[in-house]
Amino acid sequence: MPTKNLLNYSYYPGCSLHASGKEYDESTKELFKSLRIGLKEVPDWICCGATPAHNVDELLSLSLCAKNLELSEQVEGDLAVACAACFSRLKTAQHKLEESDEKRKQVAYALDAELAIDKPVKHLLEILAKDYGLERLGEAVKNPLAGLKVACYYGCLLTRPADVPQLDCAEAPTIMERVITAAGAEAVSWSHRLECCGANFTLSRPGVVINLSGQILESARRAGADCIMVACPLCHANLDIRQKEIEEAGDTIYNLPVLYMTQLLALATGAAPSKLGFDSMIVSPLPLLKEKNLL
Amino acid sequence: MSRIGVFVCHCGENISRTVDVERVARAAEKISGVAYACDYKYMCSDPGQNLLKKAVSEHNLDGIVVAACSPRMHEKTFRKAADAAGLNPYLVEMANIREHCSWVHEDKEEATAKATEIVTMLVERVKMNRKLQPITVPVTKRALIIGGGIAGIQAALDIADCGHQVVLVERDPSIGGHMAQLSETFPTLDCSQCIMTPKMVDAANHPNITLHTYSEVENVEGYIGNFQVTIRKKARSVDMDKCTGCGVCMAKCPQKKIPNAFDKNLGMRSAIYVPFPQAVPNTPVIDRENCTWFKSGKCGVCQKVCGPGAVDFTQEDQLIVESIGAIVVATGFELYSINEKPKGSAIKGYGEFGHGKIPDVIDGMTFERLASASGPTGGKIVRPSDGKEPKQIVFVQCVGSRAREKGISYCSKICCMYTAKHTMLYHHKVHDGQAYVFFMDARTPGKGYDEFWRRSIEEEQAVYIRGAVSRLYEKGDKIVVMGSDISLGIQVEIEADMVVLATAVQPRTGAELLAQKLGISYDGYNFYSEAHAKLRPVECATAGVYLAGACQGPKDIPDTVSQASAAAAKVMTLFSKDKLEREPIVAKVREAGCVACFYCKKVCPYGAVEEKEIRDRQGNLIKVVAYVNPGVCGGCGTCQATCPSKSVELDGYTDEQIIAQIEAL
Ligand SMILES: Cc1cc2nc3c(=O)[nH]c(=O)nc-3n(C[C@H](O)[C@H](O)[C@H](O)COP(=O)(O)OP(=O)(O)OC[C@H]3O[C@@H](n4cnc5c(N)ncnc54)[C@H](O)[C@@H]3O)c2cc1C
Ligand code: SF4
Ligand code: SF4
Repeated sequence: MPTKNLLNYSYYPGCSLHASGKEYDESTKELFKSLRIGLKEVPDWICCGATPAHNVDELLSLSLCAKNLELSEQVEGDLAVACAACFSRLKTAQHKLEESDEKRKQVAYALDAELAIDKPVKHLLEILAKDYGLERLGEAVKNPLAGLKVACYYGCLLTRPADVPQLDCAEAPTIMERVITAAGAEAVSWSHRLECCGANFTLSRPGVVINLSGQILESARRAGADCIMVACPLCHANLDIRQKEIEEAGDTIYNLPVLYMTQLLALATGAAPSKLGFDSMIVSPLPLLKEKNLL
Repeated sequence: MSRIGVFVCHCGENISRTVDVERVARAAEKISGVAYACDYKYMCSDPGQNLLKKAVSEHNLDGIVVAACSPRMHEKTFRKAADAAGLNPYLVEMANIREHCSWVHEDKEEATAKATEIVTMLVERVKMNRKLQPITVPVTKRALIIGGGIAGIQAALDIADCGHQVVLVERDPSIGGHMAQLSETFPTLDCSQCIMTPKMVDAANHPNITLHTYSEVENVEGYIGNFQVTIRKKARSVDMDKCTGCGVCMAKCPQKKIPNAFDKNLGMRSAIYVPFPQAVPNTPVIDRENCTWFKSGKCGVCQKVCGPGAVDFTQEDQLIVESIGAIVVATGFELYSINEKPKGSAIKGYGEFGHGKIPDVIDGMTFERLASASGPTGGKIVRPSDGKEPKQIVFVQCVGSRAREKGISYCSKICCMYTAKHTMLYHHKVHDGQAYVFFMDARTPGKGYDEFWRRSIEEEQAVYIRGAVSRLYEKGDKIVVMGSDISLGIQVEIEADMVVLATAVQPRTGAELLAQKLGISYDGYNFYSEAHAKLRPVECATAGVYLAGACQGPKDIPDTVSQASAAAAKVMTLFSKDKLEREPIVAKVREAGCVACFYCKKVCPYGAVEEKEIRDRQGNLIKVVAYVNPGVCGGCGTCQATCPSKSVELDGYTDEQIIAQIEAL
């Protein structure tokens, strides 16, 4: 029985969500399906350029993002973005191009087209908390995450720099906590919600990541969290894939599952657990979810 | 036919380097109406002025143009010279051929041509100048001081000692301001109470000072020398004449658990209270919001125990009107609070420091109360949360200040010094403790200041770390301070027992409302603006209103006291004469043309325009017109540019004169 969608978005998954962050992509689709939010992938989207592009060549970075924004015009609805880094790049590009006529001209020349970059770019959190609304989200919950203590981890890019994403207060945001408590979980108060996980250093200087991500895990454990919730595939990789190494370096055991927010929310709204990629995580969340009677 | 004299100045070489002054003088001679022209090396010098005086009588001049520097520089000089020679001073005008010509051009030919044109324009204007007489207004020799901190007290004492009447209005129940809260003061570490309380007593006992505490300025009317000020004396609920200050009421009041704002809420007070034992006046007030009697009509214990029967629950606010000649604004400052930002504030707040929710993260003034011998802990430095002595203490400078991204770009000026002081006070009291300071720069200009700062490092073992703090969070009973050390290029983390934030000095909340009552201007942050940053630092642009202390910008005590004495000197200068002479360059309304739109009233930055009723002999209202009060008008000409019916004009700058100038081009 086809039901009409309540909201509709164009969707930019970004490279990670087709690779290491596949579970994020799958669970996003599952979640949106159960909330009756339409999600249509932008045809022929390309990489946002990520850190390498903007570190080396600003024009390249701006042009890649402008191209994606232009492509997104083919699909109706504001542009939904899941990855915190893609979100940051797209928002930054809009911000910089709005501020500078000169850069707008350069990018238009590079793309050999009129710029079409005005489509609102929205992170999934914004869609859930603002467009869809916490009340409706609460009503859609069939399997409340009761008793689950979640450490909401924002990382660097979701809220900063303050004047770019404007998702929530840059230094003391609460949007993740609001969303996950609407699904019945308990959000713990902890210190390292906004610290850097080490990001791309995971390849060039893993020691940095071991240290920084280690502090984040330590802080989450100190706060009594059962798991960490993330909204970024790179944060996920550092906290989940590197967790074993971090444990070895610190001579301790965390065993803290790191879950995408969409995995938890989709579980709460009644999606089939088998479709949410739980079995492809390094630190398996299955024992925890079983213990809490969520499976 | 006019007989105008033109005097062209070389200004040493300042003008003659680029302008052929002799040619300008020769050209001026040929302008119709010019009777005499000459040039001279320094017109403003004694021989130069004599040249002018002699020419007035020899050539029977009826107008003068001095082609020299800006009128701001020497208009007064030449007008005085003309006056001495018997010519009305307002028939003298300056043609600015220095700032407007020689200094900004290189080509001598072109500059000379331009100088000649400037002179021609001014000649045309002078032809239409009227003889003017200075305006005189009477002066009421009574000063109003708003704010009873060290600034207000100092200004009040200086003026009163000079024999003039002073009305001192203080909003709080006691005078003293922030200085009464301080422990010891840089750069000499003398105890603040010991140097402050005697001055408070002097102010209260001075025969020439009328003190209104727990009072506020409600309304201000009038102008320099002649203000009418309405003061609201808030109901104290205690009769000041009957109260002996014995304090029995406070001892017996059952409401004892009210956080005392004077102690930064570390100590408690009763509902009937004086903010601190040395308060002046030593008369309690009832805080009606927290008093059982006012909440439920029961209790009344204080009234029963008061021997002289001073407690009076029926007291009401009282309005007093005072005639005032000059006003000194000394309302001081407030400290920036890192708590959740107020709605609508342009300042972003400190989410990364926990929005003020970590109990042992305090501000500098709270530290002062902890360190003060008369404070809530008797001078013991302990943590507000558990009363334990902090063994590791971290001070963070520039919180809010110099943080453009947070909304404040200025430097608060006093924090480097008081933080150095805090490390010393801490070291004197906690011998085995360690103090760390995160700082951007040490800004310690001032007599004995840099030496004081060095001492905190070299003798008192404070560790200074150059860098910013990115986050504070609780870990057990410690506070983790995450920051950077930019000298070493590393990140640092300190587990502290207590953190003291040197938060920005800000104007009082609502400072702009008082400014609007007074008609004075304020900057983008709401600090009050002086008339000229360098040459008129204590006067407002509004005549008769002066500034003292931190309400004008962040200041320490020495600067505050200097400014207060300077403001007092300005007031005394004003009071030295019975009548006040003012420049007659003021606007006049042509009543026949005025259509009563009152656009002029809206735009006048001095509040000089009033509404005047014109009545016939029977007293019937014929029309209402604008009237410019010459005592208040600043002569800016804004009204003239605005008036749609061309009915208001500035003497010396009439439309006719300006058009004549343009046509001379
Ligand atoms: C933590 C800290 C430590 C310091 N240590 C030192 C030091 O060691 N040495 C030093 O030189 N300086 C020090 N200072 C600076 C010093 O406190 C100021 O220079 C001084 O208090 C300024 O005096 P003021 O009279 O201008 O303002 P304030 O002290 O703020 O006094 C203003 C008065 O006006 C009253 N008022 C406000 N608004 C109104 C109104 N609308 N109507 C009527 N009354 C009103 C207030 O109640 C107050 O009594 C320190 C400051 C801080 C914050
Ligand atoms: S009058 Fe002006 S221009 Fe002439 S000497 Fe004096 S300062 Fe210089
Ligand atoms: S000249 Fe300026 S100050 Fe005077 S009345 Fe007009 S606007 Fe006001």
